Amino acid sequence: MAYFLNTIMGSIAPMCVTALVTLAITLIFKTSYTTNFAQGVISAFGAYMVAYFLNQKGLPIWASLPIGMIVSMVIATLIDVLIFRRGRYVNALGKQIITMGLISIIVGAIPLIFGIAVPQFTAFIDGTLSAEIFDGSVTVTKNALVCGGITIVVIVAIFVALRFSKWGLSVRATASNEYVAGMMGINTHIVTAVSWGLAGALGALAAAINASSGNTVGIYFMTNYQVYAFLAGILGGFSSFYGPVVVALMIPLANNLVQYFVNIAGAPEMTKWSMVIVYAVALVIIFFKPQGIFGKRIAKKV
Amino acid sequence: MNKFLSNKYAFLGKEQKANTALTNKMRGALKNSTWQFLIFGALICVIGYLAVNKVIPYSLQSGIATTLAYSIAAIGFCLLMGYSGLASLGTGGFIGIGTYSVYYIMNESNMSFAIAIIVALLVSVVIGIIVGFISLRIEGIYLCILTLGLSEILRNLYMALEDTIKISNFEIFGMLVKRQSSIYIVAVVLVVIMIITQNLINSPTGRAMLAMKNSTAAAQAMGISLIKYRLLAFVICTAYAAISGVMLMVCMRAATASDGTGFYALITSLNILAAVIIGGYKSIWGAVFGTYIMYGLQTTLLNRIEVLQENPVIITFVSGVLVILVVMFYPGGIAQLIWELKGKLKKLFTKLKEVRYGKDLG
Repeated sequence: MAYFLNTIMGSIAPMCVTALVTLAITLIFKTSYTTNFAQGVISAFGAYMVAYFLNQKGLPIWASLPIGMIVSMVIATLIDVLIFRRGRYVNALGKQIITMGLISIIVGAIPLIFGIAVPQFTAFIDGTLSAEIFDGSVTVTKNALVCGGITIVVIVAIFVALRFSKWGLSVRATASNEYVAGMMGINTHIVTAVSWGLAGALGALAAAINASSGNTVGIYFMTNYQVYAFLAGILGGFSSFYGPVVVALMIPLANNLVQYFVNIAGAPEMTKWSMVIVYAVALVIIFFKPQGIFGKRIAKKV
Repeated sequence: MNKFLSNKYAFLGKEQKANTALTNKMRGALKNSTWQFLIFGALICVIGYLAVNKVIPYSLQSGIATTLAYSIAAIGFCLLMGYSGLASLGTGGFIGIGTYSVYYIMNESNMSFAIAIIVALLVSVVIGIIVGFISLRIEGIYLCILTLGLSEILRNLYMALEDTIKISNFEIFGMLVKRQSSIYIVAVVLVVIMIITQNLINSPTGRAMLAMKNSTAAAQAMGISLIKYRLLAFVICTAYAAISGVMLMVCMRAATASDGTGFYALITSLNILAAVIIGGYKSIWGAVFGTYIMYGLQTTLLNRIEVLQENPVIITFVSGVLVILVVMFYPGGIAQLIWELKGKLKKLFTKLKEVRYGKDLG
């Protein structure tokens, strides 16, 4: 039982990262009508930015994280204003290619701006908590708990804003139909730009959490989470905001649980197949529920 | 005397006629796509021959060989996207089918190259049919993401099977294939693929796919079986990607699955997609040219410029800008650009003629 709880505690950080990235991708998907393949590298850019303030300017992580998030937010907004807004009438595939071009631009820009050295990252807070429960001790790093706290606060704040604020209403209106929302007096340009800005900030936060829990920062170090996020998006159904986030919390957990059960069953060499199993189950679910677990059925017009 | 002269002139005329007939035939051959492909293949072989004999630098040859290998996958994608209106981001994973078939058949089981290709084709047909069935239920961006998921499954599968694979020199029809001479095989396979694809596009199958792209409902009303052609499109795309993987293995001799920028990573699928978009998604030449821009331009051309040699990231940066510009201003790709230039040149020539000879009133 203690082992089981430890498995869950170990999944806190990846769950936070996936949930934040998924929320960012969902926001862009709903307002710009495209899958943002550049989210992974935009997030990595945020991590480099936070690391820059951390290492070069000598700020503590509590100060450098918000500054890094704000800078990423500005840059993501600029991406929308300068590039994406002009390409909004390109067809769906064309938009995907634009985000793909963004990947190349950012991948090229990161070494030009920050140099090629691997940035060092510190945890938000050091130390571990452990408790004696059932038949063993359950250990969790304080850093994971802090990350979990930040993530919950941020996600709840965004959902509350989406549900109750005027901005949330305009986002939901733009998501359901951009043209009509525009006709009703909503400035869809601003809605899209703010979504991109939020996505940049969320990406930076996600990357910082990922880096603070011990992963090496690199240009492609968020791409895996981006793929999880896409999968969570269609598994949860892009038609709602909460569906993808709920599924995003489940994917890393499922991965670790598969490893747990495989270990329990006495086949530790099978743990490397865990992601294959999770993906396969996800694809089977999508095959039988194409609109997603939480999605509404969309009638197709001829 | 008169008779003699006329005879002589008649002879001359005949020769002239024969000459024009020959040039006409050659012109016809240049306009015939099959001959174009064959000439292209021959040119590649000449470049390969020059590179093997060290007349031109070797890096040029390896860059071109990589481009050709990837462009097989791009042509398959071209058929899928430009002619069937479906999009997939599984190319990276499908390429792995080819590389792992080569590895397991040739290196582990010591069987011949032909068997490796056949196994790659069989596996890819099965995978293609699975994706095709999925595509009947899910469309558009969702299908993209789903195939991306499938590609990730395959990549994780490869990592679990054997992370780094390598092959050594092997024999085809009794001839030893070294890494340097792999360009010949790739060129031959690419030309065969190009000819098959061109004929497929011009056949009823190609027209059925085009109908399906424009409107599935209208195509079904005209009696086109959606299942049949969607499955076919995906099977062809997957099979081409697998062959491309086989060829990449022949050129590169090694692959690592966990590499974030390797053959099976998301970036490969995106690069192939970008190559097809840049080149023009309905043109075989466009696909090859787009692939060259994405994969070959850096190693063959830009690396010779000194400023870029020191900062290779500039190339990545510029290629990103280029991709965005092409998509925003030339959605039909470079094929469209060339088409428009052709039209403009024609207009210019007629105008020049008008200036010289006066307006054609007839």
